[in-house]
Amino acid sequence: MAKLMAPGGTRRMAFSVLEAGADTVYVGVRGWSRRGSDTELTDAEVRDLCAAARAQGKHVRVVLNTMPSSEEVPLLLKKVDMYAGWGVSGFMISDIGSMVQVRSHFPDITIHVSVGAGLSNALEVRFYHDLGASVVILPYRMGIEDVRAIKRSIDVSLEVFLFRTENLDGIVCPGKCTMSSYFSSNRWLDHEGKDYFYGSANRGGDCLRVCQVGWEATADEREIDGKFGLKGNPKLWLQELSDYVQAGVDYFKVPGRDRSDELVRDIVRFYRKVVDDLETFPTDEVVTQYAPELEELKKRWASERRRRDDRLVARAKA
Amino acid sequence: MFELSTHIPGPKQLHEIDLTAYDALYLGDFTCPLYPGNFSRHIDTLALGVERVKSMGKRCYLSLYAIPKDSDLVWIKELLRGAQGLPLDGVEVHNMGLLETVREILGDIPIHLGVFGNLYTHETARVLKGYGVERVFPNAELSLEELIYIRDNSPVQVVVPVHGKIPLAISGTCFVTDYTGQVPTNCEESCSQGHWLTHEDWQLKSIGRANLSGKDLCMLEYLDRLIRSDLNLFYIYTLGETGTYVETIGKIYREALHKAQSGEESCTERWLDQSRSLSQSGLCNGFYFGVSGQEYLSPHALSQTA
Repeated sequence: MAKLMAPGGTRRMAFSVLEAGADTVYVGVRGWSRRGSDTELTDAEVRDLCAAARAQGKHVRVVLNTMPSSEEVPLLLKKVDMYAGWGVSGFMISDIGSMVQVRSHFPDITIHVSVGAGLSNALEVRFYHDLGASVVILPYRMGIEDVRAIKRSIDVSLEVFLFRTENLDGIVCPGKCTMSSYFSSNRWLDHEGKDYFYGSANRGGDCLRVCQVGWEATADEREIDGKFGLKGNPKLWLQELSDYVQAGVDYFKVPGRDRSDELVRDIVRFYRKVVDDLETFPTDEVVTQYAPELEELKKRWASERRRRDDRLVARAKA
Repeated sequence: MFELSTHIPGPKQLHEIDLTAYDALYLGDFTCPLYPGNFSRHIDTLALGVERVKSMGKRCYLSLYAIPKDSDLVWIKELLRGAQGLPLDGVEVHNMGLLETVREILGDIPIHLGVFGNLYTHETARVLKGYGVERVFPNAELSLEELIYIRDNSPVQVVVPVHGKIPLAISGTCFVTDYTGQVPTNCEESCSQGHWLTHEDWQLKSIGRANLSGKDLCMLEYLDRLIRSDLNLFYIYTLGETGTYVETIGKIYREALHKAQSGEESCTERWLDQSRSLSQSGLCNGFYFGVSGQEYLSPHALSQTA
């Protein structure tokens, strides 16, 4: 049965999603994930969380999915060593060289290829699997047919987000965008020598959502009516969940490390019930029963997203 | 010796632009397979293009689509099979899924990792060398220091883009058709226009499926430093630019690099003025000096902050 992975953007969120039914909680650690330090945990918090998860028979995944500088790779390995010692059994990584180093030094660890790697086809999934990745996180622009095709051709675990873009990709592929740091960047070293690049999701600082500001377009001096966001916003989904379960998806990932503790807890509780019910009841019944609750969660999700984007864009302009 | 290169998307540009300034050309627009006449979409066009580039005495590389879905792999494999026997000097790949495919079909041809290949570390360069990658365009976010580190600590060559609009984002769909709601009568017309995106004092350029920096990366004032660092593979971003831009910037850098290499005094002010006159939003240094990508630091200002 597919596992439910949930975010731990704060200590409180991390503990509450386990209580709400997540099988695994994933947490960013300061300076090493594609979110800013507002939604990353300290090492001490990770250690406490590991102990709590172990007591419940659950897992902690650590997100080390920044693209490090060359000289930071040894520090990344040191971090993996420390977290593994505390009981962390899996890591989400984007950088190919770091992934190979982690696999070489820690042969028993589960490596998830992060969405930051920006995969676009089954051959690319195979490439990462051959390098030692255990789980591949598919970008949310890939659909159910992609999942089925990959599962048919490669013996690799797949992880999919519980949200999807509808129709439009926008002109940003996850993991292949440097628009934020083009406009705003702030860089500093912490006491361990970790280089922070605030303004670059790829390098350990938050993406400042410059894609969402409302861009005006012109074509050879001719204005085009309207303002445009440059990225499609994904939405939580329900209808397709059964298909993904049947296709053999191994991990369903609740997004939202940068959302409120309460909303994330409620989303995890919701999907826990849905996934469990899908084991027993017909899909149509489950979908019908849970559709109204999902609509409420979607509204809260969209509202929090707007607030978050406004906050980050304001930082980019400061 | 150095190599100055750029991308030429299709036959129109190859025939109409004076490309004498360039030592090597990447044939094809890696951002969009539908770009009119794209060398990396049709084998007949490619074969004629390669023949012409070789007759000009230049090195010729094929540039493949950056973000192929599974359905794109079918026509990319056909293209590669058609390219067997062509005198290509290398193939540019942005997508890890294509690395083995290129080797299976074209043997041990040198592979160049494109800018959307997301190379940030020398460790990644080492791994990719095992897949035939001889040369890399590092991710645009890296500083010059990091480029040099990768060059010194891995077995690959490192390309240094020195001018032009930096590719910042890419998508599988086209801005023009998806966002404006105006279905173009044909891509030829649409792609011949300049598409700009503006928000307050921010500006980006769109070439359909990719967003580029609004400002032009310009390293004219730093060429002597680059040469002193033993960097020798220089590149100019020209996708979406006019023929005049490709010619003029190419000639400026050709002359400037020669002078920097021979230690002669350069005409930097005049070249900077020419470059500014061709840029809609001004100049920047990209990410080379550890600040946000759209700033421009003169060598004087940089030495003060260093």
